[in-house]
This record gives sequence, structure tokens and C-alpha cells, in this order.
Amino acid sequence: MTNSAKDIALSVSLLALAVIWTWLVVDTIRPGFSNGDIGPRAFPMVLGIILGGLSVLLLIRTVALRRDDSGAAGVGDVDAMDEEATARWGSMILVAIEIFVYAFLLQKLGFLIATPILILFVLVIHLRLTSWKTILGMTLGMTLGCWLFFEKLLGIYLANGSWFNIG
Amino acid sequence: MELFLEALASAMTPMAIASIGLGSLIGLIFGSIPGLTFTVALALALPITFSMDPVPAIGLLLGTYIGGMTGGSVSAILLGIPGTPSAAATVLDGHPMAKQGNASIALGTAVIVSVFGGIFSLIVMIVSVDQVSRIAISFGPAEIFALVLFGLSTICGLCGGSLIKGLISGALGLMIMTIGIDTIDGVQRMTFGSVNMLQGVNLLVAMIGLFAVPFIIEAFAARSFTSEKSQRISRVKAELPSLKLLSKNLWLMIKCSVLGTGIGAIPGTGGAIASFLAYDHAKRFSKKPETFGKGNIEGVVAPETANNAVTGGTLIPLLSLGIPGDPATAIVLAGLMIHGITPGPALFMNQAGEVYSMYVAVVLAYIWVLGLQLMGIRLFVHVLKVPRELLAVAVLVLSAIGAYSIRNSVFDIYAMGAIGVLAYGLVSFRVPITPIILGMVLGPTLENEFRTAMMLSAGDPEIFYTSPTALIFFSLAFLVIGLQAVSEFKAKKHPKNEVKADA
Repeated sequence: MTNSAKDIALSVSLLALAVIWTWLVVDTIRPGFSNGDIGPRAFPMVLGIILGGLSVLLLIRTVALRRDDSGAAGVGDVDAMDEEATARWGSMILVAIEIFVYAFLLQKLGFLIATPILILFVLVIHLRLTSWKTILGMTLGMTLGCWLFFEKLLGIYLANGSWFNIG
Repeated sequence: MELFLEALASAMTPMAIASIGLGSLIGLIFGSIPGLTFTVALALALPITFSMDPVPAIGLLLGTYIGGMTGGSVSAILLGIPGTPSAAATVLDGHPMAKQGNASIALGTAVIVSVFGGIFSLIVMIVSVDQVSRIAISFGPAEIFALVLFGLSTICGLCGGSLIKGLISGALGLMIMTIGIDTIDGVQRMTFGSVNMLQGVNLLVAMIGLFAVPFIIEAFAARSFTSEKSQRISRVKAELPSLKLLSKNLWLMIKCSVLGTGIGAIPGTGGAIASFLAYDHAKRFSKKPETFGKGNIEGVVAPETANNAVTGGTLIPLLSLGIPGDPATAIVLAGLMIHGITPGPALFMNQAGEVYSMYVAVVLAYIWVLGLQLMGIRLFVHVLKVPRELLAVAVLVLSAIGAYSIRNSVFDIYAMGAIGVLAYGLVSFRVPITPIILGMVLGPTLENEFRTAMMLSAGDPEIFYTSPTALIFFSLAFLVIGLQAVSEFKAKKHPKNEVKADA
């Protein structure tokens, strides 16, 4: 994807977000009680309008620049590292899943069970590490180290599970 | 003088020195772990002080406060994840320095200038507590709104190559902070009926998401398209900044100390505003503004001096008027009152000895912080020897702990993940994410002060343009925006000079 195509996609997405946001704000938040009262609706609504305005500006600027540069359309403008880009987007999706699943497991199984499951999954499935020393060291070291340091030493409450509770 | 010597003697007892040292260490640890702020550390330390004598007790709290403010720079520089909101501006140049192998210089500079800023602000406080508190208290909602607007204008300096994208990023940050219960009317905004959304998006959760999650994604992605061998962040050297480097930046340190002290003296502001304003100032007046964001030491000096100068500044309204500037100083205030020290105009007459002891405690806390952090640098930089993907696994677990521990809520981990993925998407589209933090830090104050000012004036906007202080800040804000627009226009004419968007 070229940089200008990225900017167009970005500005259109943000414009859609701004329109939906402003509509939701107007629909769900009540205005101030009088002309002088700046109510709870004012700021979110103004911000939605500002975001919409800036998105339109970005779109116009990108289209105008694209027209100007159309003769010299860039080799350099093209994202040459498609493979890397794919790896990054894939990694992003996996990390998002890992975080959400970890949060769910923390709630259900507690820190002492959820953490080794997460670390093992990340090291073995995501990162494809093969050194069992590293895998075991990281899994046990991080889990027990964090539990001892945060919960026992600093007195910070770590999640207990609602299904199991061994913390 | 006799009173001062007595205070010195009571603050120099082994118990007091050890308490201050313990506080500094706790503060440093909490400050350097993203999500665990010194406010949490202070809340945990407060009960410990109940059975202690007043001077060691207050020393423990002040040490925690000062250690925490300084410790935020450690993870900001080493990992690019600020330990506290005050250290968010330090990431911009501190982390690139670490990537270039100059982590120890950045860490050493950060702690030395922090101590400079802190001691400077303490001296200013001692000399001018009466005058500064009188000026600071004259700041009403209109003046604070104008100051915060000026703070927001620094977004222009953090935009990288595109002013529009920087402003979009800032607007997104402001929008995120309007979610939750409106603090003035108690109305739910964009909560969609979810109980978890009532509290809104926590700033610390968002900060962990914005900085830690993209780091984790990048580290894991790099593993998949590079060789099987583990990637390390950089080569590791353990050397301290030279005297020449520090003396070269002395004038910048003095200017940022004045700025930080002034901002700190105004209740409701804080270290994050001071550090961003200082960063913007340093960039604007630097001989090499184009190197900012790429590892310019001035980009570490300015925010770190300013955010620590805030510590002395916040003590001014706290001691002279009994007004805490932020949640952390509110806990210090509680500690003072528990030990029979009642801040207010009469404090300096009735309990001058305790006040002098506090001054000594602040100096001792900075000495502890300096010693601990300079000794620790040799240890800290070894973090960079850990393979990047393994470091990312540790960051993933620590970030989840940090996000969870803020409100003991799993929802915050979901929020952290969602914000992090959004941030990564924005970075991919070359939108700078630092303005989001600035918008989130300043958004609630901006809105609340504006609405309070309008309430006070019964809806008449005259309140903003009849205040000379507000007008000065408005003018400065417009000047900054105007200058940035002109420089971007020039950059478009000469595209070779365009600077890439920062992340």
C-alpha cells in the first residue's frame, strides 16, 4: 500500500469514526440546561466535529498532493517490505488474542495458573522457541518471581481465579 | 539559625536517613514499573508511617514521592515505556539513545538533571514560598484553562512531519478522556450501559497500552522475519555523562527548572504538563531541532529537569496553603496531618522546625535517589542484554499486572490491549501517538476548567479575555501553532527537510 493510499484510508476511517461519534454523542448525552451552561455534551461533540474537520483536511491534502505528484509516482512511496508488513499485522492480531485470553484466564484461573499458560503459549507457539531451558526458566521464573515480588513483598493484589484459587 | 540546626539534627538521625532511603528505593521501584506509580507507593507507604516519629515518617513519604518521580525515566529510556505519565516526554529521545547504545548516558543524565531540578525547585520554594503561592493561588479556572491550552499547543512540536496527523492524534486523546461519568454533572458519556466504562479509560492503562503493546508486537514480529538468533536491543555500555555534556546543558536545565517549579506551584497541573512544555521549549530553541526524536540528549535533559522541579513547586501550595496539587501530594498532605503538621499560612510560624526538617529530608531524598540510581545504572543497562523477544514476554506479564493492579479490574487489561492495538494501527499509518497521551493528560483539566470558568461567569466568555494571565497563555498558544504551521509550510516547499512522524 502506498503512503498516499494509507492516508486516504486513514482519513476516510477517521471521518466515519467522527460522524458515528458525533451522532452517538448528540443522541445519548443531554445538552446544558441553558445557553450559558456548557453541558456534558459540548466537549465530546466539539471534539467529534474537530476530528471530522481534520480528517477532511487530511483527505483533501492527500488527494491534492497525489495529483501534484502523479507524474513522479514513487518507487519510494511503495511499501517495499510486504513480507515484514504481513508479519507485523499477523503479530498484532496474535498479541491482541494473547492479551484478551490472558485477561480472561486471569479472571477465571488466577495469576498462578494463567501466567504460565500465557508464557508457554507465547514462547512455544508464537515465538517457536525450542530451548527447553529458556522456556522453563521464563515460565517458572516470571510466574513465581512476579508472585513473590508483587504479592508477597510489595503486597499488591494479583488476580485470584473464580474457577480455581491457589493464590 | 538555631531552629535550622535543630531541624538538621532531627533529620540526620540514622532512623530518618534510613526511612528516606527506604522511601526513595520504594519510589524508584514503583516509578520504574509501568502501571505502578508513586501514588500507589505512597498509598502503601502511608500506613507504615503511623507508628513512626514525624520527621522519619514525612521523610519516608517525601522519599517515595521523589524516588517515584525520578524512577519513571528508567523504563522510559530502556524500554520506551514510561513508568509514570511525567516520563512520557522522556521516551521521545531517551529510548532512541538506548537503541544507539547510550542508555547509561541517558539514564545518568536523567538522574543528575532530575536532582538538579529538584534541588533548584526546593531552593526557589524556600526563598519565595510566600510570593509564589500568592501568584499561584490567583490562577482561577480561566487562567488554568489558558495554561492547559498552551500545554496542548505543544502537540505541534510532537507532530513529526504532519501537523494534521498530530492534531488528529491529540483530538483522539481528548475524545478518549471524555468517556465515563462526567465529573461536573455526573452524566454518563459513551459508556453504552457498561458498568466498567463508568470510570472511563484510566490514563495509566492507556499509557501502558500505547507504549508497551506496540513494543511487544514489534519484538514478536521482528523474531518472525529475522534470523532465528535472538535479537538484542543494542550494545551495552555503562558510562556516565561527562561534566562537559552537563555544563553544556546548564542553561537549559535552569530554564526547565524554573518552568517546572512554576507549573508545579499551580494546583491541578503536574509533572506531565511541565515535561511536555519543557521538551517543546528545548526543541524550539535547540540548534539542532531536527535531531529531536532521534536521540538528542537535550530531549532527556529538558523533561527530566522539569518534571522533578515540579516536586518543589507542588510543595509551595501544599505547605503554605494546604492545597495538594495532585493525588500524590494529597497523600503526603494526609501524612503530614496524621503526624500533627497542619499545612497553611500558620505552619511557618507554629512548626518552623518541622518545615526545616522537611527541606533537609527533600535534599537527603535526592542524594539517596542520585546514589541509588547511579549505582543501579550498571545493573539496569543489563536489561538490554536480554533477548528482545524474551524482554517483550516479561513486559507483557508486567504490563498486565500493572494494568490490573490500578483498579483490581480485568477490564483494564482488555482496555490496555484494545488501546495498544489501536496505537499500533495508528503508528502503521504514520500517526504520532505521543499527542494522544498529551490529549489524555490535559483533556479532563481542559474541560473541567473551561466549564467551571463559564459557570463562574454565568456563561459569559468575557472571563477568558479580561484576564491578562489568560491572554498571555492564549497568545503563546497561538504563537506556537502559528510557528509550527509556517515551518510545516516551509517543509512542504523543501520536502528534503521533512521529518518523519514519530511513534
